[in-house]
Amino acid sequence: MAAKIKSTWHDQLFIALNSLFMLFLVAITLLPFLHVIAKAFSGDTAIMAGKVLFWPLKPQINALRFVVSSNSFSKAFGFSIYLVFAGTAISMLLTLITSYPLSKTRIKGRKFLLLYFVFTMLFSGGLVPSYLLRYELGLIDTYWAVILPGLAVFNMLIFKNFFEQIPDSLEESASIDGAGNLTIMMRIYLPLSMPAVATLTLFYAVGYWNNYFGPMIYLTNSAKYPLQLYLRSVIHLASLSDVEKSTTDIDLLMNVATESVVASTVIASTLPILILYPFLQKYFVKGMIIGSVKG
Amino acid sequence: MHLKKPKDIGLYLLMVPGVLIVFVFCYVPMAGLVIAFQDYSIFKGIQASSFVGLKHFIKLFSQGNFTRILRNTIMVSVYRIVFGFPIPIILALFINEIRTILPKRIVQTIIYLPHFLSWVIVYGLFVSFFSASGSIMRAIYAHSDSVPVILTDSSLFRSILVGTSIWKESGWGTVLYMAAITSIDPQLYESAIIDGAGRLRLMRHITLPGIAPTIIMVLIIRIGSLIDSQTEQVLLFLNPLVYETGDVIGTYIYRMGLGKMEYSFSTAVGLFGSVIGFALMLLANSLSKKHAGRSIW
Repeated sequence: MAAKIKSTWHDQLFIALNSLFMLFLVAITLLPFLHVIAKAFSGDTAIMAGKVLFWPLKPQINALRFVVSSNSFSKAFGFSIYLVFAGTAISMLLTLITSYPLSKTRIKGRKFLLLYFVFTMLFSGGLVPSYLLRYELGLIDTYWAVILPGLAVFNMLIFKNFFEQIPDSLEESASIDGAGNLTIMMRIYLPLSMPAVATLTLFYAVGYWNNYFGPMIYLTNSAKYPLQLYLRSVIHLASLSDVEKSTTDIDLLMNVATESVVASTVIASTLPILILYPFLQKYFVKGMIIGSVKG
Repeated sequence: MHLKKPKDIGLYLLMVPGVLIVFVFCYVPMAGLVIAFQDYSIFKGIQASSFVGLKHFIKLFSQGNFTRILRNTIMVSVYRIVFGFPIPIILALFINEIRTILPKRIVQTIIYLPHFLSWVIVYGLFVSFFSASGSIMRAIYAHSDSVPVILTDSSLFRSILVGTSIWKESGWGTVLYMAAITSIDPQLYESAIIDGAGRLRLMRHITLPGIAPTIIMVLIIRIGSLIDSQTEQVLLFLNPLVYETGDVIGTYIYRMGLGKMEYSFSTAVGLFGSVIGFALMLLANSLSKKHAGRSIW
């Protein structure tokens, strides 16, 4: 900026107050994490005494070690990894092959096809008909119930908008050289769309990782629960009364002996996102902005 | 010269899987809405189940439950807009005033983070934070006789929902506004500074009007999803002690439909919600065309 704001006393005051405000925001965001981290690494007597706030007391790492090495946690973790990889692969493939043709303004019936997809964002059959459909198809208790319908129309439109920005002349010159649609899409358009591919892959992957609602509805067998659903059971069980506990799944119950174990389960489930997040953040921001600019 | 292009038939073939998937998983359930007008039995199937007309809708409208869930759904959404909508705007305006890059990045990175966590994790964090036997609440209420049980208090439930979603989404909500701020013409600031404007005046008279179109757009979209009660979040926090204020359309359908297997009745509830939601989206879109000059989709 060429012109500078005059550095008066009230400008200084503004900067100071603004910095305080920012510190407040950061603190509000981080405190719930710090509390759970402190709990996960504190001794149970200190937790029971209500002394653990934002720093571990009587530190121990047994709780986290117990969670990570427990059978049920690693099984749920494995299911989530499977869900992320299989789901993201299917979703990205469907998104690619649907958005590429729709980005060609010349194809006949394009308006109708777009309406066909967009309408599903505005109106849906709802929970029960969707459940009954999967029941009829025999998909209940399988991961297919969640990953087969993996085409997110919103993401597909983002990809379509991205393709539309690539000049048509590239397609023309490739086809003069004798390339077919599939070749042109894979060899010319896809390499030019890597920023969009990166962003959408992440959107899908995080979506699958965080999804608990779909699996909760379509998986009735708790032995197949992915991580989020497993975590939900652990949190719920921890807050049950003794009477309720006696009627629930023993296998899960064994794992929720103490608060530090519950806290460790929360930490262990958050860790993958926490570790990857700083590196991936810029792609998300980019994607959010691409998505909001309509083609 | 006629430009040579690969045959378009190939393009249509590429679309077949996507069209089919959407047909099966989106359009077939829409046809399945017909069970709202039947006494559907899972053993008989749609064809053999008998038609009952508007029976389930009449039952729905004559129940006290219904006004309760409709009121809760709308109130939670309205609170989300009233309290949750302005916060990202205010945050964006003040984050924009951090003029050094590194601190700005750090603040942004931290406040975006909760958006990427699942609701289950956020639920876990706050159960631990607000638990009456937990150390935080015990520390806060150290000098009173009893610690309030926040998560099962129906008078606090909506505040908990709105508060936690503000905590989770406000930071990420600034992204669109920050992007809009970067596209404001710098010359506007320069001439105002030469005229002696301070930071607050620049914020009020240049930055805020500069992002007004984005603000209007976001508000319109929020109005369009007024009936969408964010079941994923509510279902986690919900417990029988707070049904009075916290039971929304989505959670009610879940309990009635999949819990009690009242398929036809809960489909009728869902159809009612979907129709209102659809009408609201159409309304939002026409508002958007009129005031923002573009269609939402």
